[in-house]
Amino acid sequence: MFRRIIRNDILKSRTVSFITLVFIAAAAALVSLAALLTVHLTGAIDGLMIQAKTPHFLQMNTGQPNISRLESFAKKNESVTEFQVLEFLNVEGSEIVIGANSLAGSVQDNGFSTQSSSFDYLLSLDGTVIHPSDGELYVPIAYGRDGTAQIGDKAVIHGKQFTVKGFLRDSQMNSLLASSKRFLISEHDYNELKNFGSMEYLVEFRLKNLDDLGAFETAYINEGLEANGPTVTYPLFKMMNAVSDGLMIAVILLVSALVVLIAFLCIRFTLLEKMEEDAREIGVMKAIGLRTLDIKKLYLGKYTALGGAGCIIGGGISLGLSKIALKNIRLTIGDGGNKTLAISLSIIGILLIYLLILVYVSHVLRRFHKISAAQAIRFGGIEETGKRTNRLTLSNNMFLNTNVFLGIKEVFQRKRLYATMLSVVVVSAFIILVPLNLHHTISSPEFGTYMGIGRSDLIIRMQNTSNDDQMVKETVQMLQSDKDVSQYAVLTSKRFTARTITGREEPIKIELGNHSIFPVLYVTGKEPQKQGEIALSVLNAKELKKQVGDIVVLTDHGMETQLVVCGIYSDITNGGKTAKASFVDDSKEALWNTICVKLSQDVSVDKKVGEYGKSLGFAKISGINGYITQTFGPTIRSVGKAAAVGMVAALFMTLLITLLMIKMLLAKERYSIAVMKSVGYTSKDISAQYLSRFLLILTTGVILGTVLANTLGETLAGALIASFGAASFQFVIDPISAYLVTPLLLGGTVLLAAFFGSSGVKNIKISQHIKE
Amino acid sequence: MKKLIKAEEIVKVFDQGGESQTVLSHASLDIGEGEFVAVMGPSGSGKSTLLFVLSGMDPADSGTITFDGADLSNMSEDELADLRRTKIGFVFQQPTLLKNLNIIDNILLPSLRDNRKEAKWIKKRAEELMEQMGIGELADREINQVSGGQLQRAGICRALMSGPKIILADEPTGALNSKTAQDIMELFSGINREGTALLLVTHDPRVAARAERVLFMSDGRIVSELKFLARGREALEKNLIKVMEKMNELGI
Ligand SMILES: Nc1ncnc2c1ncn2[C@@H]1O[C@H](COP(=O)(O)OP(=O)(O)OP(=O)(O)O)[C@@H](O)[C@H]1O
Ligand SMILES: [Mg+2]
Repeated sequence: MFRRIIRNDILKSRTVSFITLVFIAAAAALVSLAALLTVHLTGAIDGLMIQAKTPHFLQMNTGQPNISRLESFAKKNESVTEFQVLEFLNVEGSEIVIGANSLAGSVQDNGFSTQSSSFDYLLSLDGTVIHPSDGELYVPIAYGRDGTAQIGDKAVIHGKQFTVKGFLRDSQMNSLLASSKRFLISEHDYNELKNFGSMEYLVEFRLKNLDDLGAFETAYINEGLEANGPTVTYPLFKMMNAVSDGLMIAVILLVSALVVLIAFLCIRFTLLEKMEEDAREIGVMKAIGLRTLDIKKLYLGKYTALGGAGCIIGGGISLGLSKIALKNIRLTIGDGGNKTLAISLSIIGILLIYLLILVYVSHVLRRFHKISAAQAIRFGGIEETGKRTNRLTLSNNMFLNTNVFLGIKEVFQRKRLYATMLSVVVVSAFIILVPLNLHHTISSPEFGTYMGIGRSDLIIRMQNTSNDDQMVKETVQMLQSDKDVSQYAVLTSKRFTARTITGREEPIKIELGNHSIFPVLYVTGKEPQKQGEIALSVLNAKELKKQVGDIVVLTDHGMETQLVVCGIYSDITNGGKTAKASFVDDSKEALWNTICVKLSQDVSVDKKVGEYGKSLGFAKISGINGYITQTFGPTIRSVGKAAAVGMVAALFMTLLITLLMIKMLLAKERYSIAVMKSVGYTSKDISAQYLSRFLLILTTGVILGTVLANTLGETLAGALIASFGAASFQFVIDPISAYLVTPLLLGGTVLLAAFFGSSGVKNIKISQHIKE
Repeated sequence: MKKLIKAEEIVKVFDQGGESQTVLSHASLDIGEGEFVAVMGPSGSGKSTLLFVLSGMDPADSGTITFDGADLSNMSEDELADLRRTKIGFVFQQPTLLKNLNIIDNILLPSLRDNRKEAKWIKKRAEELMEQMGIGELADREINQVSGGQLQRAGICRALMSGPKIILADEPTGALNSKTAQDIMELFSGINREGTALLLVTHDPRVAARAERVLFMSDGRIVSELKFLARGREALEKNLIKVMEKMNELGI
């Protein structure tokens, strides 16, 4: 009998049951997918790093390292098992052409290596160590994925011909977060290219035990060994490999949480309506002496069945989807992960969803206890919980149109029911607005100043050449005589050594020049104006543990120079650890020179970029917008994509929930509608009542959602941005899209759904619902 | 006497799973202004359907109905709603009040739709009517806090609020005990004396005996009619006997 009752019930509320099923299935599928992906990802990363024998400690160094000193250090240190110095030949992107594509626009440092003999191998896609023959080129898999290179392509590097023989996985630099990419060529080819690029050295160690890493690092530093570049350790490599797919998993989990929420809404809806509908029968059952628990079981039964079916379907879907979702990980990182573990974890995830649903259903069913047998039989309804909003009476309403008033009264009278709808609108507004505002923020020129880029029109960069000074002079002369240039500033980056609080000496890159012309945004303090001042980037300030007013001591040339910290600014360029000062130093060679240029009004930036590109062949010229897009391009694009997806998903969700809601309301309120009609209310009047209910919810929801997006959303986005080295993040909001288009879109969606949904009012026949 | 409702040859067919059932077959009747007409007939003879069709809540399949000179078949849904709201009062067997409104709001509901400016005046009128109907104290009660008879009185108040030309009542006393039923009938008689026409479906010969005319329905048509020449308290017994005789004759 149980089974029949459940089946009838599901058939009766077919649409809503189906939608509930879909959402449960989707939630189960997503959670299980996330579990599969997590296990696979961690397994694959471990696999890759073991096969490639990733170094435990890496010190990048520009400039020839003292190999014998390093070697004796490695011998002396007990935890070191292996040691090597690899070469990385940094080649200008414009010198690398693969097929029809040049890497001139690439933000990566592209370079060439030969295969290592002992560890840190570059692996083929099937996990073997590649040994290229002459003329063969192996390309980082990232360039395979984005379509830059294909197997068989002809490649030209600095005039030398190669054929793309395959793609490689690089356990160090695979991730887009790593700013360098290694190409693999044969020993012989490498020697031929050697003179055409700038050499970087990778000083690498493997240790007996990863636990010794901390001690080893200290030993390395204390020894004062090569430190002319960033240091990366094994855990960081691991994190970099995990981060992009990890983000995807996080997003999947987030979406699945949202989907579970919607499934809950559906369940709550159907259950409350059903209970109200059945209140009379429930009362009768109670009256004839059935226990609450027995009746509860009946209802729980439906969701046991529905939830079970949904979870099984979801599991199936996730198995089907896992192939596609895993494709990316398989390609970039490889296979791996314990199959049994993956499957058991995903089953656990699905069971968790199932359990959550049952717990939620019995939570909603607690209302059963509130049904009194006498009340239910006499009046056929559940008493509203809490106080009725009796203050809202028609007889006291002197201002509002009656239809509007009735709509609003209904919402206030049944707050809990409409709260679910409200939360959907709030969530929708939130997931539309946060990515939208973030997108607008990071593509705005103001954002450049957050990120350490002054607001000029174009940037001329000269890097790593021997006669820098001469070139800067030539450029400056040219700029001075150019009528189109209104302002310019020359900034020279040089490497110094700073003493930390603990007395350790650390390299610090300082950008020297006039920083007042194109100031960046200072979190605290201001730009260096006097000789003895220095401004630090947020990350550097954190690392050196300095605040505005503190003293930074430079220890170059055996003498101490004291500089007062005058400001702290956000910066994500050059790894986020930078400093700015205005003193003059002639003793050191420049790492690079940057000249920021502001053009006169009405001068086309693009034209100027082209012009300078020709006359200043030795420099890299970019318009500021181009520069920002290049630096943040992928981020802007993915945030843009997230914004679009968020908007579509949110609007769809709103549409669905509104339709669902109105459908259920109409079914429930047939009788009231018939009564209204019988006393002379038109279908239009009744639709207007529904519209005003939804408009009220919509307005409240959009306002709440906007406030939430601008507070909580901003904090969240700020935290995300801060992890890249920026601080004091604030949304730059486009009022038209945020405060006009978004509410209009949401409003349009709700009204559309309400309008179409309430067209059913017309079909409700009075005589059929008022039975005599 | 001027005709308020004129119905000619009304046909109403219901489809029930492919089978069609003729519920009204060429029923004709008319009701004069201020007239009190009762309708009797066996269960299922089409009495309720007749009221629904006459008030424009259900369209007739053929035949013509004119209300106050206007042809219902030419009216749009909205015009029919306006008609119900302004010229017709409907009283059902079960009080059809809305659960989420209190008593006075239920009564005000139709009138406040378009006369918001006169809300104060309308409210006063509602209070007067409730006083008249003997439920003056109950204005702010919720509808599950009053008795069945009181609900029915509230329903009658609602029907009277617009000052309609006619009240259509479908077994208004059917669900009530005899004492309450009698009270309600007194109210109806009073309303009728003040000039409102009354078309009242009933099973109770004592109720029918108060009317000016009684129409007898069977199988969807008016098969017979009684007209009382004398009315009033003294004639009530005689009229009652006439109704009972007729019921016997027709086998109701
Ligand atoms: N919406 C409908 N669909 C199909 N058939 C209907 C519908 N409404 C009424 N009927 C049928 O029409 C016939 C007449 O119904 P109606 O309600 O008019 O009878 P009645 O004379 O009012 O009966 P009672 O005295 O029991 O109230 C009945 O046989 C009923 O089954
Ligand atoms: Mg009837």
